Amino acid sequence: MKRFLAIVTGLVLGFAGAAAAQDKPPFVFTAIPDQDETRLVERFTRVADYLQGKLGVPVKYLPVKSYPAAVTAFSNNQVQLAWFGGFTGVQARKQVPGSDAIAQGAEDVAFKSFIIANVSTGLKASTEFPKGIAGKTFSFGARASTSGRLMPEHFIREAFAGRMPEEVFSRVGFSGDHSRTIQVVQSGAYEVGVLDYSVWDLEKKAGKIDESKVVVLWETPTFPDYQWTVRGDVDAVHGAGFKAKLVAALLAIDDPAILSQFARSKFIPARNADYAPIEEVAKAANLLN
Amino acid sequence: MSALIALSKESAGYGGRAVLHDIDLTIAAGERIAVMGRSGAGKSTLLNLLHERLADRTALIPQAAALVKTLSVFHNVYMGRLDRHSTWRNLRNLVRPAACDISAVGQALAQVDLADKLFAPAGALSGGQQQRASVARALFNGRPVVIGDEPVSALDRVQAADILQKICAGHGTAILALHDIPLALAHTDRIVVIDAGRIVLDAASRTLSPADLIPYYGG
Amino acid sequence: MLSRATALPKLGYVSASAAFLLAALLGVLVADIAVSALDPWAEMRRLLAGLIRPDLVSIELRSVVWTVAFAVLGVSLGATSGFLLALGFARVRAIRVLSAFLRSVHELFWALLIIQFAGISPLTGILAIAIPYAGIFAKVFSEMIEEADLAAERVLPKGASIISTFAYVRIPELAPQFWTYTLYRLECGMRSTLVLGFIGLPTIGFHLDSFFKQGHYPQAAALLFAFYLLIGTRRIWARPATLPLLIVVSLLVLPEAYPGGSILDNFLRFASQIVPAPLRGADLLALATWSNLTSWFSPILTRQIVPGIVQTLVLSQIALVATGLLALGLFPLICRRFAGPVGRPLGRVALVIVRSTPEYMLVYVLLQLLGPSMLPAIIALSLHNGGIIGYLMGRHADELVYRPDAPKGLNLYCYETVPRLYGQFLAYMLYRWEIIIRESAIFGILGVATLGYYIDGAISEIRLDVALVLILATAVLSMAVDKLSRMLRKRLRVEAMPTRLSEAPVGSGSDQARLACIR
Repeated sequence: MKRFLAIVTGLVLGFAGAAAAQDKPPFVFTAIPDQDETRLVERFTRVADYLQGKLGVPVKYLPVKSYPAAVTAFSNNQVQLAWFGGFTGVQARKQVPGSDAIAQGAEDVAFKSFIIANVSTGLKASTEFPKGIAGKTFSFGARASTSGRLMPEHFIREAFAGRMPEEVFSRVGFSGDHSRTIQVVQSGAYEVGVLDYSVWDLEKKAGKIDESKVVVLWETPTFPDYQWTVRGDVDAVHGAGFKAKLVAALLAIDDPAILSQFARSKFIPARNADYAPIEEVAKAANLLN
Repeated sequence: MSALIALSKESAGYGGRAVLHDIDLTIAAGERIAVMGRSGAGKSTLLNLLHERLADRTALIPQAAALVKTLSVFHNVYMGRLDRHSTWRNLRNLVRPAACDISAVGQALAQVDLADKLFAPAGALSGGQQQRASVARALFNGRPVVIGDEPVSALDRVQAADILQKICAGHGTAILALHDIPLALAHTDRIVVIDAGRIVLDAASRTLSPADLIPYYGG
Repeated sequence: MLSRATALPKLGYVSASAAFLLAALLGVLVADIAVSALDPWAEMRRLLAGLIRPDLVSIELRSVVWTVAFAVLGVSLGATSGFLLALGFARVRAIRVLSAFLRSVHELFWALLIIQFAGISPLTGILAIAIPYAGIFAKVFSEMIEEADLAAERVLPKGASIISTFAYVRIPELAPQFWTYTLYRLECGMRSTLVLGFIGLPTIGFHLDSFFKQGHYPQAAALLFAFYLLIGTRRIWARPATLPLLIVVSLLVLPEAYPGGSILDNFLRFASQIVPAPLRGADLLALATWSNLTSWFSPILTRQIVPGIVQTLVLSQIALVATGLLALGLFPLICRRFAGPVGRPLGRVALVIVRSTPEYMLVYVLLQLLGPSMLPAIIALSLHNGGIIGYLMGRHADELVYRPDAPKGLNLYCYETVPRLYGQFLAYMLYRWEIIIRESAIFGILGVATLGYYIDGAISEIRLDVALVLILATAVLSMAVDKLSRMLRKRLRVEAMPTRLSEAPVGSGSDQARLACIR
């Protein structure tokens, strides 16, 4: 027994020592899981390789299972950089004072959502808000999604005189991500749904949308959305100038393979203030203190 | 009278271990037989053997009363005829007993003086009452042969005599393991004594006196 | 005996069952059990096709290894702490309350809390299992200690110390039961790691979740089969002799966690965030603070806790009764008298599969097939729990001694088997009630509007104070049901039922321990 304990203690200490000996901590990032995981892993593994080449430190991508898990990993300093949506970015920067939005897709300045419907509803595309969706079953994406929940909910409230979605629709659900919103509306589990327009385009290109079953009814007005947010203490850990190098690397992404996986044309600088409208909407909807 | 069953040089036992050896026994329909002997002699094994061979003609009174304690006395007695009613009727009776079955079961219970316990849970009966309910189940079963393993062991002698009479009256043939010598001599017409797995005495009751049987119980 | 009977009127099996049935029927009236998928069969066909052609190459072996490692370490830690708690369980009320609290919060909720400061790390996985399991182990171990045969204790010389008495008499007497129960719990532990995978820990559950979400059914099927294999062979690889080796190897293979910030800093931040928002940095003596707290809490109570509890109760009541009906229907499948020599092994395999399938995954799949409502959760809960109770009932049924002229088939079932086992059956159902409540609560995360639905909302809004209040509500609910269930078991006189199998002819220490697993 004694020897057994000695072995275990030795092993544990050995591990602790090995961990301490790693002089160069890896630079880890995550992303909100907003669509099919396989595609995300492909996309962000490529980004990790690219950043590792540019930054000269080991760069790892940590996949997470939910939007709040991405925010938590960021607040715990388990990841130092994250690809957030508009709202999760606001949440994360509130959790970690000193963190900054540093880059966004060119399209994220004026992002939009699609309201989609199963064809069995008989609803038709329009340029006006489709009031015919009242009384149907309705699926958002993730609860903390900007284009799959926060902004659409805002437009729904505007259209229906401030009524909550639960009061407008016969059933409200959260599918979890944009790809699944398409699935649940296409299968008829929900009659109407709302999602990120860029994921709709990506899924369409991938041939996963059956347009005889699901159609786009309306596109929302635009709002700011996704961005890269970095912790304020990266320079302290990885050396002065690291953050600037990171920003430059992100803005310099011009590999069409990466950009097309993001459905973005290029990355442009971003500031925290760009997301003030999102914060306001979130506070009004009582999703943020 | 034709032979109901004839055993010749039979052995029987459990798990490869023989308990009965060289059994020669012929039973005619209409006989009333007491199977006697020390405990462990092989009486129950013999009764089980007979029950196996005669199952489709037999009502059984097992040694332990074997009542389902969570069901009422009615249901336990009714079980004696489960095989002769449709499953549907059995299931319906479980929830809501039919009047005709209640009266039939009631008659069987009246014979063993338990009519007032018709819908009492079997688990609430005393040991003697449980044994009488088990007898009532056999009476209600009504098949021509009754095989009973100590069917009146928990009753006083007066009540035991009464119940033995009912058992014998209710079935054409009775094969009963008994340990009370006077009761056996008074209510059966043939005594079969088993000792160490063999039949050591097989004689008409009227030819025997209690003194003839006592040696088989001594020591 | 008689005086106790008058003090506490005995409750009949029939009236108790009728009350549960009635409550479930009322539940069905108000429950949302619509099937809203337009074409469930298309997805079902794809699912079945995947199950038939599992893609075994795709199995990520590391996740299988980590599943075992988390379970081994979590259960070992839980068993050790549970054993220590069990020593004082009977005497110290605080220990009983603590244990009741620890086990009243589901592993998933513990994980959601721990992950806030320990991140996606082995520590989170191990603690999320060890903490609730410690509460369960404490209760079960202490029951085993109380029920132990003390004949040997009486012959010890007077003055033998408590510790040596314990070591010489109780431990040798109880060790086999402790081992059997602990190793069985390993099986439950592996199921728990699956659920932890769904929130991000790198177990089989992580990949199962991804594959099911994306409809990659052949890959998902391969992982499920790997999981069944692990569970099915548990008796071979998990033995008292192999456990030390398992623990060492598990420690060695644990996934490396990204270092992240200091746990202390993260914990302090977590601790500050679970304080209700109105109290943070406020003057605790000011009246306004407390009126703020009330106005913070009252909408949580009226809009989340109350409707959440109602839905949790409705779901669990329907699921409990469906579980009972299913168990009564399934147990003959593994009985000598009913299933026969060919049917019985098949029945066993079916019941093992049904009870090893993670309920959470099943709900997820059924939600895809049947559309959003309570129905998927009801089906999944009753399949899983019905499989477990059916299995145990089948074992009891095989131990019944019938009279030689007992009826056959349906008559035997209705007149002998079920009436004889009914007390046992009710005891199992009442034990399972609390577990069904806890699981009903977590299904909220999948969209059924039970308490978990609101917890998921609070976590999404990074409102840990609200999440904690809601998790405490689930704890209170399941402790209340536990208490009610204990009272009913007393009234129904089925209190001692499950452990009685140890007195039955085939019953051994291992059977007793297996029965204890129902708790």
